[in-house]
Amino acid sequence: MTIRKSRSTDIARRSALKSVAATGLAVAGGMSLAPTARAAPTLSIWTGYPELVPYYKAVAADFAKTKPGVEVNVLSSSLREMEQKLSAAIPTGTGPDIFDIGSGISLKFIEAGLLDANPADVDGYLKGGAWNKFTVDWFSLKGKTYGLPIIEGRAAMYWNRAMFKEAGIAGPPTTYGELMAAAKKITKIDATGKMTRSGVSMRLSGQGSGITEKFRFVLEPAGGSLLVQMPSGKWSNGFDNDAGRKALQFYVDVVQKDKVDDPKVPHDAAAFANGQAAMLFREAWVIGEIKKTNPSLDYGVAPIPRWDASGPYKGIVQPWGVYVNGKSKEKATCWDFLKFLTQPANALKITEMTGWGSARNGVDWSPLLKQTPQFEVFVNPPKDVIPFADPIIGPFDEIQSRIADRLPGLFVDPSLNNNPAKVADAIKQLATIADNILKQAGMYGTS
Amino acid sequence: MIARLADASRSWLHENFTRDNWRLLLFCYVALAPVLLLFGYVRAWPILKSFVLSFYKWELINPVRPFIGWLNYEMLLEDENFHLALKNTAVYSISTVMLSTLLALPLAIFLARKSRFSAIYQTLYFLPVITPMVPMSIAWKWIYDYNHGILNYLLSLVGLPSVAWLTDPDIALWALIIMGVWKMLGYSMILLLVGIRNIPSTYVEAAAIDGASGWRQFRFVTLPLLKPILLYVFVTSTINAFNVFTQVYVMTLGSQSAPGQAVRVIVFDIYQNAFQYFRMGYASAEAVMLTLIVLGFTLIQFRIARDKAGQDG
Amino acid sequence: MVSHRSLASRLLTLLAHIVLCAGAAFMVLPILWMAATSFKPATEVSIWPPRLLPDAPTLENYRGIFEDAPFGQFFVNSLSLSLIATVSVAVTSLVAGAVFAKYRFPGRQFLFMAILATAIVPFESYMIPLYLQLISLGWINTFQGILLPTLFMSFGIFLLRQHVSSAIPTELLEAGRVDGASEWWILARVIAPLSAPALSAIGIFAFIQAWAAFIWPLMVANEQSLFNMELGLTAFQFRFSTDYGKLMAGSVLSVLPMLVIFVILRRRIIESVALTGMKG
Repeated sequence: MTIRKSRSTDIARRSALKSVAATGLAVAGGMSLAPTARAAPTLSIWTGYPELVPYYKAVAADFAKTKPGVEVNVLSSSLREMEQKLSAAIPTGTGPDIFDIGSGISLKFIEAGLLDANPADVDGYLKGGAWNKFTVDWFSLKGKTYGLPIIEGRAAMYWNRAMFKEAGIAGPPTTYGELMAAAKKITKIDATGKMTRSGVSMRLSGQGSGITEKFRFVLEPAGGSLLVQMPSGKWSNGFDNDAGRKALQFYVDVVQKDKVDDPKVPHDAAAFANGQAAMLFREAWVIGEIKKTNPSLDYGVAPIPRWDASGPYKGIVQPWGVYVNGKSKEKATCWDFLKFLTQPANALKITEMTGWGSARNGVDWSPLLKQTPQFEVFVNPPKDVIPFADPIIGPFDEIQSRIADRLPGLFVDPSLNNNPAKVADAIKQLATIADNILKQAGMYGTS
Repeated sequence: MIARLADASRSWLHENFTRDNWRLLLFCYVALAPVLLLFGYVRAWPILKSFVLSFYKWELINPVRPFIGWLNYEMLLEDENFHLALKNTAVYSISTVMLSTLLALPLAIFLARKSRFSAIYQTLYFLPVITPMVPMSIAWKWIYDYNHGILNYLLSLVGLPSVAWLTDPDIALWALIIMGVWKMLGYSMILLLVGIRNIPSTYVEAAAIDGASGWRQFRFVTLPLLKPILLYVFVTSTINAFNVFTQVYVMTLGSQSAPGQAVRVIVFDIYQNAFQYFRMGYASAEAVMLTLIVLGFTLIQFRIARDKAGQDG
Repeated sequence: MVSHRSLASRLLTLLAHIVLCAGAAFMVLPILWMAATSFKPATEVSIWPPRLLPDAPTLENYRGIFEDAPFGQFFVNSLSLSLIATVSVAVTSLVAGAVFAKYRFPGRQFLFMAILATAIVPFESYMIPLYLQLISLGWINTFQGILLPTLFMSFGIFLLRQHVSSAIPTELLEAGRVDGASEWWILARVIAPLSAPALSAIGIFAFIQAWAAFIWPLMVANEQSLFNMELGLTAFQFRFSTDYGKLMAGSVLSVLPMLVIFVILRRRIIESVALTGMKG
């Protein structure tokens, strides 16, 4: 019995595989050497905002002029993945010298002793008028401060001037009532019943805590809060009340009664830039997007409306912190770098380069505003806007996420349309979710 | 009595452990040793550790890790998100596997012929398998778009109303199933080609000589001989489908996307519990549950294959 | 013999081709969109209504990705990682698959099921224990650290076992043994050549899996010089927006090597090894 096999191709394949393996190992051998130790300090920075990388590198180049020999390596990835990487690396001592991260994780690091409190000079710098009190408080925990603010997200209302002019409306709405009226005039629905232009682009679908965050843009002006802190220091839900019901009712009306938005149409910055949405609540980075994709768009930026003429303006403030690893071997240089990074000149630079805003005081924003006046509301927010921020407690992200799981379903639920009782019921259920998570964390209290 | 036992065991040893047997046995263990070592270090050991962690309350960053026994599993059985994820993932897996395999079979049989077109078709049908998930999800969001997507455009050509593929909670999962089939088809096709190509031509010729028509040939010659590969395709597709994560995750990102709950899948739930809520012990328990469920499916598939009197070397 | 193809048979073949073409178009459409978008300038990427082809095609995206990050380095990293992984998976799958298929030994069933069962567990759930193991090896931030989990593929062992047990008659092995050959010789000279189709298929899948590896390389690499293409692409996925043009350009470049590997190995899958003179 014989087996016919092509010996030559067999041998050829084997030698091909061998040479491939050899090449691979040679390449691997060259690469597996750990980086050689340097005389001058090398700082490693990890960021979950890939758009910040050119900024970090530019500032590092300037910093090296003042402190020659210091090298800075920047590593970036998308935010969720970078959070995973930091969560594994920091506790095990394989992390970077400097990193930026959100409060949810930085809080855990602080509680686990992986981040040092700011040294005295940095503490003084933070509290010494470089930032407003609201931001400074956000970086304080039990009397000590941790990290420095690098960027700060504020949301404002983008509105399409051309569309408003077309509809005969003079300026941007200042109350939610005016907003609904304007949206109704501008929304376009074609002959087959499909919405071709939404009056206001709300966050209606998808997944993640962002849905609840945008919900708070309506909830807060209406007079509610996602969580409120009790005098005892414990927390409870803050929206099982008239404000919460009004906010949910607003969303239901937007989608079902007044029909000024629809989950099926395009949303967010891309839609606004393309002229498919007349109004949008978003942060400053949209300005950069518009410049890139549709520079001729005629639009303005105004504060997010108050609920009615008697209510306050409320604006979310989302600081983002940059921290020094408690296990870093170059802490002194790191802190110097961070102080340099947050100087007023660099604050201007970050907004110019990335479109993200900064809360730094003492910055001369005029070069930026001359070029792009739409930044005004972000860098010089009106004095009557009351800021609110995420409470810095462990369970907050989970509470937002779990409520976000429910909200898209509620917005399109027909049984909530014109049915205040059911809306109240739904709010109660969401409030129970929040309270249960607080109870699990031992943080719940009603007094 | 002891002498008799000794005799019996000696003869048993002689029967079963001849020199030849020893030689073969030695070969087995020596050949397997490096592979098993790699397997142990890279898979078995970390998985075992993760399994052990499911009995603890472990917050990754928190150094305190109390032992809590079955508590994670009890909480899991009452977790609404887990139930929803289980239901969605089961529907997704079964549909994707059945559809992609049933479509891949005739495709592979047709393309097994060596024609000039075969090579082109094979390559085109395999392309989706090698595409990265993030750009593809963006492309599919465009295809599924309500107002301007290709699918609704085609529907309008035949007078059918537009479908809200991604944004309708009842349809979103099916939109993802279609995308899943799109990605998996080429994978199943290539494997079935391996199987078909290795059916010795003598069998096929013999059947033709016996007067078997195309269909009979397929049913009584090709199909039984494809059993081992078909089993492979079913088992591995099921495992892959139950582990779906990236494409679902990307399709729900951003504000023009599928409603999260409608397409919540198990691995996303595991990821969320582990890396967003930092409940690593709980996430480990969930992974254990997923493994047991899929293992159950796998064993059933093996049993079905064996019952049909397949060859088992 | 004159082959007699009826009209019905020819119509059927035509129908088959129509269906196949339509199917192929469906398969390729999203990829076409990806390629077309890679040539669009930023102003055209998300215009509405969307158009497939660019009005003003540009190579700006392709030029730009090499400026923003060392994509050449990323490409080389991806290539070497994937090639080594492919060879390792092929060898380990062949050896283990053949042993499981053709040899009886204590623990055989259990070991095979254990190997298969571990393929079910999602990587995200045992990633952290593996990371801790890597720390004790000192392989964080090294090439070999990134490579390690890709060297082994349970599905590879499974496929080779299925293939060897069904396509290679035990008589062949017996014949070799009768001729005095060692088991190693049989493995290398009998089983391996006959397993070429399955090995090629596993080669393709191992290459793809290693190329597409994302979360593990990210966990291990602390320097950008170790990044692979997938990690490099995240440079264009900002917090809330994406540079679609550059992302698509990078993705197109990322797909090309896998396409090449497929084209090379596909022929080996299709070529069958003819067995002649088999006495049943």
